[in-house]
Amino acid sequence: MNNFFQFDMLSLIFGLLIALGAIPNILYSKGYLPHIDRKAHYNIHYYTFIISMFGVVFAGNAFSFLLFWELMSLTSWQLILTEADKDRESILPSARFYFLMTHFGFIFLLLFFLIVTNGNLEIGFNQMALIASKFAYPTMLFFMLILGFLSKAGAVPLHVWLPYAHPSAPSPVSALMSGVMLKVAIYGMFRFMFTVLPNWHIEWGVLILVLGAISSLVGVLYALSEHDIKALLANHSIENIGIILIGFGMGMIFNSLNLHTLSSFAFIAALFHTFNHMSFKSLLFMGAGSVLHQTHTKNIEKYGGLIKSMPITAITFLLASISISALPPTNGFLSEWMIFQSLLGSSQITNMSLKLAIPFAIFALALTGGLAVACFVKAYGITFLGLHRSQNAKHAKEVNRLMQSGMIMMAGVVVALMLFAPWFIYIFDETLNSLGMVSVYTLIFPNGYLNMHSVAVHGGVVSPQILLVALMVITLLLYLAYKRLGIKERIFHTWACGYDTSARTQYTATGFAGPIRRFFEWLYKPNEHITKENIGTHQSKFSQSSYEVHVKPLFEKSLYESVSKIVNFISYWVYRLAHFEQSRYAAMIFNLMLLVLFSYRIFAHQFSWATFVLESTVMLISIKILIIGDKK
Amino acid sequence: MIFYITTIIIMVLIAPILLSFIKMVKMYLLFKRPISILQGYKDVSKLITKETIISKEASDITRIAPFLVLSPLLLVLFFLPPATSGAFYVSFVDAFTITGLITLSTFFLMLLGLDSASSFGGLGSSREAFISALVEPAMILTIFSVSMMANNLGVAQAGVNLAKEFPSNHMASFLFAGISFFILLIAENGRIPVDNPETHLELTMVHEAMILDITGFYLALIESAASIKFVIFASLFASLFMPFGLDLNPWLSILLFVAKLFFVALLVALIEVNTAKLRLFKVPNLLGIAIVFAFLSLITFYVLGA
Repeated sequence: MNNFFQFDMLSLIFGLLIALGAIPNILYSKGYLPHIDRKAHYNIHYYTFIISMFGVVFAGNAFSFLLFWELMSLTSWQLILTEADKDRESILPSARFYFLMTHFGFIFLLLFFLIVTNGNLEIGFNQMALIASKFAYPTMLFFMLILGFLSKAGAVPLHVWLPYAHPSAPSPVSALMSGVMLKVAIYGMFRFMFTVLPNWHIEWGVLILVLGAISSLVGVLYALSEHDIKALLANHSIENIGIILIGFGMGMIFNSLNLHTLSSFAFIAALFHTFNHMSFKSLLFMGAGSVLHQTHTKNIEKYGGLIKSMPITAITFLLASISISALPPTNGFLSEWMIFQSLLGSSQITNMSLKLAIPFAIFALALTGGLAVACFVKAYGITFLGLHRSQNAKHAKEVNRLMQSGMIMMAGVVVALMLFAPWFIYIFDETLNSLGMVSVYTLIFPNGYLNMHSVAVHGGVVSPQILLVALMVITLLLYLAYKRLGIKERIFHTWACGYDTSARTQYTATGFAGPIRRFFEWLYKPNEHITKENIGTHQSKFSQSSYEVHVKPLFEKSLYESVSKIVNFISYWVYRLAHFEQSRYAAMIFNLMLLVLFSYRIFAHQFSWATFVLESTVMLISIKILIIGDKK
Repeated sequence: MIFYITTIIIMVLIAPILLSFIKMVKMYLLFKRPISILQGYKDVSKLITKETIISKEASDITRIAPFLVLSPLLLVLFFLPPATSGAFYVSFVDAFTITGLITLSTFFLMLLGLDSASSFGGLGSSREAFISALVEPAMILTIFSVSMMANNLGVAQAGVNLAKEFPSNHMASFLFAGISFFILLIAENGRIPVDNPETHLELTMVHEAMILDITGFYLALIESAASIKFVIFASLFASLFMPFGLDLNPWLSILLFVAKLFFVALLVALIEVNTAKLRLFKVPNLLGIAIVFAFLSLITFYVLGA
């Protein structure tokens, strides 16, 4: 077992990612601990979870990989159950769902490993590549990989567990799961696509690109309709995983078309977005956790005005919101810019149908960006601005120092990813170079660290540092002009058409997303309830009214519920069979014998439709009479 | 360099005049007594001498956001295509960065609307979020298509390339992109038929609703941000879709550039007089047309090369 661990560049940069995500989280978690009842249970699983994530990225063979992978799944499952005593109805089913989905993926990973290792789980990745290259159906291996890893990463259609599992976990754990654990799945994609299955078909890249584009749109659209702040953020994880997959898919497509510099550029963009999403999503979940900690509710409609009582949380949350909305000059903008540039490099593709498909990916990414802005204006504005919408929000105070310092450290990571982008891109480039891709660092930064170039022909250039400084200088000049004028300030109530301003008249999160929900009604199919107490016979006058809207995700409704219906149907008949009287068992044996005889006749001798129909009829009649019997 | 700075200063100075010009033309066509073309300046000078009233319910965002609404737009002015061929220009900034900076400004404007705890603010922000989310894909696709024709992703460089070599054999896709961009110009600047900048009626307003609780210097900042946004779009339209006259005498071509800006303003004014405002839920149809034209432009460019 001398290759139990291995430390190459890819493992190390993902180790760096986990360290960057986990260290601020540990501080935050220490501050959060008084809020948790089962402290020992929480601590044991929390630290094992972090160690197992390190274990996955440093694993050197299939055995250690699977061991740590499963440990990671099980500890995170236990962590979701930490607060199960408080809310059994919602936490237990979501933990069960998570358990099921994560093992659904695990089965495919296990199959993948059994094939590529020939049953000897202790061989290293390079030997696996040899066996995999001789395997006759590489596309099957590819499908096993994406089913295994994307069910963990939360790409459509295997994303349904995220909006249930992440909100149920304690906040530091949701930050860790969404920020870091999903990235471990991305690590799996990188590791096994590059080292074990290096001969990519072009269709694979297209499939990943399409999955990414759909995931990003689906994620952001369902995020917009959420009222639960943590479920909103979990849906945004789906969106960002989609964006990472767009970069990854473009990299694979370019590589299959022998456009090697563009391919490296797209992969660097995907890796960079992986890091960025880790930073801002952890920060957002920490901020949401602080708000939840103080207000004791996840419902976004019950917040409001928290910027006054929780300034540190509000400022860090604002930074992360700007970054996740991909607004310049933040790090989220930089990586999305890179992904856009690699999509725009598609003009070099000669395959016409592929060339025409890529504008649709650009469209999906741009629409996602626009909707993400809307969603984070909603999340930030309704949570932190305006008046307190409930008593819970009124009593909120700033969280304790440890939690604050966790958030500030994570904000530091966000800023570092923006300011030191060249350094990060350098290590991503080195990593991809060590995996056999072309080095493009000198093409991205041909003159100095300040200008980031696209490697596409006649591509664009961006510079986060210059943009940041220019924005700051212009804002400062305007501010100085304002100070110089010495204008008097008066504080007065908001004008509310002569009425008192009240928390009840503010816009709600449901109302804010109203136009978008109405435009995408065909997708949401919202379930609306309006109750009114009309005064007398007037239709338009009422003393009280309430409006509720629920959106059930389409994928869950169509895909998962139909699967569960089929499973229920089968298990009902299995149950019926298992509870027969003994005479019916004998009848069943008789039927089975008939089946064997008939099928022997059909397959071993000549086949004719007439005998087939005859024999099937005999079978059906005997089943009906002997087994099912008459309905009681 | 001198032409670069002159162009920027001219754009900043002309911004309030352009909006007043639109209003003036409209009033003239409606047989009203037109306002002075300098009305924009009069408004701003009045606003910056007034005292600022800050809402008691609002937070520090109200004090910060107006500055951040204006500053990204001022930054965009530095990245626009040059007005004359000899001038310095920042060649490399692409459509995604420019759209991003404009969205950054809109982001803070929307936060400002939610900050004052008034239902009007939320209403405006909600509608603005809806419209700008649909504008973004069309905008990026359009500018991408134009950059393909100009053979450079940098917007300013694309403008220069178009002026050097007019894409006369890509006329179809060029026109489609032009139509799409003009719709976006109207939508992003909140003109009729998307938004009516003149009424304060809750049924129609988008931009005005967000800034209902802002006064004094802050309002001056936001009003100038609105006018500068119009100048940005007008100058992008002028440089990318009317790419001629850059090779004249530098001062003459700057003058021609200003004339183009007034031409765009005139077009907007004529459209405003001749159309009614759309219902909010009809606006996506208009933006859908913009998106479809952007796609058409790209596809005709790719497939037909026309």
